[in-house]
Amino acid sequence: MSKILEVKNLQFSYEKETPVIKDVSFDVEEGSYVCLIGHNGSGKSTLAKILAGLLSDWEGSVKVFGLEVNRDNIREIRSKLGLVFQNPDNQFVGSTVRDDMAFGLENRRIPTEEMDGIINKYAGEAGMIQFLDSSPENLSGGQKQRVAIAGILAINPDLIIYDEATSMLDPSGKKDILSLTLKLKEENPRLTVFSITHDVEEAWRADKVIVFNHGEIVLEGTPTEVFSHTKELQEIRLEAPFIISLINALRKQGIDIPDSIKTEEELEDFLCR
Amino acid sequence: MASFALGKYIPYKTPIHRMDPRVKVLGMIFLMVAVFFSYSTFSMTFSVMGAIALFIIVIMIISKTSFLKLLRSLKSLWFMIIFLLIIYVVVPKNDVTEMHVAFAIKGYNFYWESFLDAARILLRLVLMIGLSMVLTATTSPLDLTYALEWYMTPLKVIGFPAHIIAMTISLALRFIPTILEDVNRIMKAQTSRGVDFEHGGFGKKIKAIISLIIPLFVSAFIRSDELANAMECRGYDPNGKRTKYRKMHFKWSDALALVVVAAILGGCIYMKVINFDLFNILLGEGAVL
Ligand SMILES: Nc1ncnc2c1ncn2[C@@H]1O[C@H](COP(=O)(O)OP(=O)(O)O)[C@@H](O)[C@H]1O
Ligand SMILES: [Mg+2]
Repeated sequence: MSKILEVKNLQFSYEKETPVIKDVSFDVEEGSYVCLIGHNGSGKSTLAKILAGLLSDWEGSVKVFGLEVNRDNIREIRSKLGLVFQNPDNQFVGSTVRDDMAFGLENRRIPTEEMDGIINKYAGEAGMIQFLDSSPENLSGGQKQRVAIAGILAINPDLIIYDEATSMLDPSGKKDILSLTLKLKEENPRLTVFSITHDVEEAWRADKVIVFNHGEIVLEGTPTEVFSHTKELQEIRLEAPFIISLINALRKQGIDIPDSIKTEEELEDFLCR
Repeated sequence: MASFALGKYIPYKTPIHRMDPRVKVLGMIFLMVAVFFSYSTFSMTFSVMGAIALFIIVIMIISKTSFLKLLRSLKSLWFMIIFLLIIYVVVPKNDVTEMHVAFAIKGYNFYWESFLDAARILLRLVLMIGLSMVLTATTSPLDLTYALEWYMTPLKVIGFPAHIIAMTISLALRFIPTILEDVNRIMKAQTSRGVDFEHGGFGKKIKAIISLIIPLFVSAFIRSDELANAMECRGYDPNGKRTKYRKMHFKWSDALALVVVAAILGGCIYMKVINFDLFNILLGEGAVL
């Protein structure tokens, strides 16, 4: 398997003397779903911006798709990378869903005749086909994020980065986007998702979880590994998902629960057996 | 949402809506120029303007532009209109000795010509508002932007960034509702903190407005920063080559419309240049004003 992201000894500061990212190294494998969690102000968005080439003057090495992130490569990297930001309004460029999706295609010089086909296909995939002519004022936050995702799908990406894409949405909007992402990953196993999130339930479903605090990685591993460090997580005031707390509590009671159990349904099945 | 002076785009599907926006813009300019001419006599002027008015009314009917809205937008201008009319009627424009007295109040003469002048101005105003209403009601702001960009394209030769200006305008249009939402939200938030936007003296009002303006600017700057990031991420390069999703199509019907409007303007110019007077020919010298 090849590496989609390779970050080595990354350091960055907006203003001198106040480092926002201090010596961060990690890899992301092709086709994996990686969640980055951490507190507000811990430098997560800064990291996402560096990956997308929106900042400059960092120290260390950042490679996306095996290409060093720099002026010469950024166009090629961005042609296969999609970034969904937190605020649904501020990334909606077009006056309708259709125009917004077309914006990315225009930038990538897709011929006009091919655009409608592409727009219909990916709006359908993101479940927004009946809203193609709606303007952003008439869409919910979740629908706008779906449009952002559809716009990214339209360029056939290898990597999608979410920067707290669901944190401004209501619970049903959150669920909606999460299940859409899981569906997309199922359909295209090569798609890599790097999701910055506050949602521990989402992190629980990931292949790998990275915990960030004050610009440093404090924990890294599978969800089961990471969330077993309840004490460290509590120190930086992050809560483990409900299911983990439940399993831990049950284990304390002497019930042996295998690591393979991931969801409440599975736990229910196991306990009822 | 705040209503704009000239009305909003109403997405019907009429032939006028389907017209090439470039033709609509040019056609409107042609008709506005035609409306602005005065001819040899008042009767000529009013006849020609009446004919153009009829033409505009037909266009408004075809394009389903509401006459009610036209009246409403006039209503918001009533103060200016009355002021204008009074000025015209009280202060004669031309040489008084050649004018016809309508009546006199306490020795002060009022002239027929003054009333006609005022009526002419009023008619012009109504026709201009009607024309711009047809344009804005039948053309989406985005299409208008594209049309303006197309007309500005030749200026690219001298380095004028027509495409960047068009993108800026379309982004501004896109964000008007979002910013208005911000205004509402901030006003509510500040009201709940005790700011009173409706009552109080001048000083208090200024303070209230500042409590709105500053957060509004902060929010707008954050929005534009994030928008710039999002656009860059999605591959936007202001100076790079881009394809176009919405292409404008110049159809035969557009050519026909353009010919009709150009003929109207041409006829008007011709009548003005030769000082044409239909009534003089039909009824003889000096039969009407
Ligand atoms: N444009 C900027 N200029 C200066 N400081 C910034 C800028 N953006 C973020 N910061 C600072 O960098 C730190 C990390 O911010 P950010 O990456 O947005 O964190 P997170 O996304 O984890 O909440 C914060 O202390 C923030 O104040
Ligand atoms: Mg952030």
